[in-house]
Amino acid sequence: MLQVKNVRKVYQSAQVDYVALENINLEVADGELVCLLGPSGCGKSTLLNILAGFERASGGSVSSDGVAIRKAGRERVMLFQDAGSALFPWLTVEENVRFGLRVRKVAKARWEAIIERTLAMVDLDRHRDKFPSQLSGGMRQRLQIARALAVEPAVLLMDEPFAALDALTRRRMHGVLLDIWRRTGKTIVFVTHDIAEAITLADRIAIMSVGPRAVITRVIALQLPRPRDLADPKVAAIFNQIEALLAPDLARSEERAAH
Amino acid sequence: MAQVGERVGGRNMPAPADTGLARLAPRDLWERYRTLVLTIASLLIGLVAWHLTSTFLVNPFLIPPPLVVFQTAAQMLMSGEILPDVAISMQRVLIGFASGSLAAIILGVLLGRVRLLHELFDPVIELMRYLSPTAMIPIAVIWFGIGEMSKYFLIFWGTFFIVLVNTVAGVWRAPIGRQRAAECLGASPLQIFTLVVIPSAVPYIVTGMRIAMASSFMSIIPAEILAADSGIGYLLQKSSMLLQTNRIFVALMTICILGFLTDRVFRILVDRTLKRFMAFVAQS
Repeated sequence: MLQVKNVRKVYQSAQVDYVALENINLEVADGELVCLLGPSGCGKSTLLNILAGFERASGGSVSSDGVAIRKAGRERVMLFQDAGSALFPWLTVEENVRFGLRVRKVAKARWEAIIERTLAMVDLDRHRDKFPSQLSGGMRQRLQIARALAVEPAVLLMDEPFAALDALTRRRMHGVLLDIWRRTGKTIVFVTHDIAEAITLADRIAIMSVGPRAVITRVIALQLPRPRDLADPKVAAIFNQIEALLAPDLARSEERAAH
Repeated sequence: MAQVGERVGGRNMPAPADTGLARLAPRDLWERYRTLVLTIASLLIGLVAWHLTSTFLVNPFLIPPPLVVFQTAAQMLMSGEILPDVAISMQRVLIGFASGSLAAIILGVLLGRVRLLHELFDPVIELMRYLSPTAMIPIAVIWFGIGEMSKYFLIFWGTFFIVLVNTVAGVWRAPIGRQRAAECLGASPLQIFTLVVIPSAVPYIVTGMRIAMASSFMSIIPAEILAADSGIGYLLQKSSMLLQTNRIFVALMTICILGFLTDRVFRILVDRTLKRFMAFVAQS
């Protein structure tokens, strides 16, 4: 279980301190898929970076299974929006997956089976010898997923991984992710600014306000069966509810981006 | 940073091999050979312009016509007199370039990684890199005499700063997401450095080396003119004293050809050994 308690994040600069996050509380149960939803600039990526251990909270505590998170940990793997720069472009698909096995000193005898299984899971097994530059955007994201799964983390932290993909590919990736989630039982924290994406994926959606002093304004549990169709009145009602909640913040987010 | 890639052939690849060239539409034929044809045309235009200039516009003694220059070149090649000069200049360039690159890569990797070192060294480097090898010739002669060492030093000097600045930039710009991804996957700081940061910097380093290679060919000439008794630069200097413009032109052409060929060889070597590191993946 991931626990975020009273987390505060302050960026200090010479003139003024910027309070990005204030009093954030969140618990993510094992095997749960939680989306952090909010307009750009709300600090959701900051929160994810704190969960990953890349950044430290200025106050409060974050822990994974009761152990305080201080740095990147073996049980949590982050997936990035820009797969092109997150992958190792000089390594083939297969070698990208092998990288984690190598640095974690997984027994060599197991490598082949793990690579085979994880690549098959994301349907990249026919592209083992290609380089990332030879893959489409969706395939690169699938390779990121395979590379993460190979080191068998309990938690996947996903930072808007599908935001740069075209709409059709994104829908396909949602299917791929949900399928993998169902089969592996990973805990997933998924950052997005797309309401439809959050509704498609999440068990619970944590809605964040725009910073400074961003907080989680509301957590919505979705007890709807998947796949979820936005045309379904029940789903549409939730969409509208969230949209109304976000509307004032969206305007503020644009204001902020303007200067 | 864009890689300069050759366009081999045209967009429309020719029909199956057995149809032969005769069956290709003129347009396809053009697309297929345009690079070759235009390259030859460019060289021919240059030669014709040169010939016309030296024949009709200026005194052929000042600009000897191409045929005279080619004849002189043939003589100098046949007698073998130009070969020792070519060999010694190439040796100076290669030794200075290799040692300068190596030193710059080692220091650059450190400076790119250790912020304190960078902050300490950068102001000095920012000032020193304006000292071209030519500016350093007088002091190099005093330090090392007119022997080989002074030429190695001058080429080293010219190479060092170019490769250094590029290496620092490359190490610095290793994408943070890639380093964090490696960290998540379980890489230690040392592994992140050796397995992620340095490979990410390779395209920058190679580009720096290519620029430095070209600059080495420019620096070796003044060094040899002012402080040597052998090499292409010395040949230029000697021919100038004797007013042998045809020999000067042969020496100038030799520099062009050597520089061009060396760059080609360098690119082929990079392609053979570092190709996989040269790929840039654009934003997905």
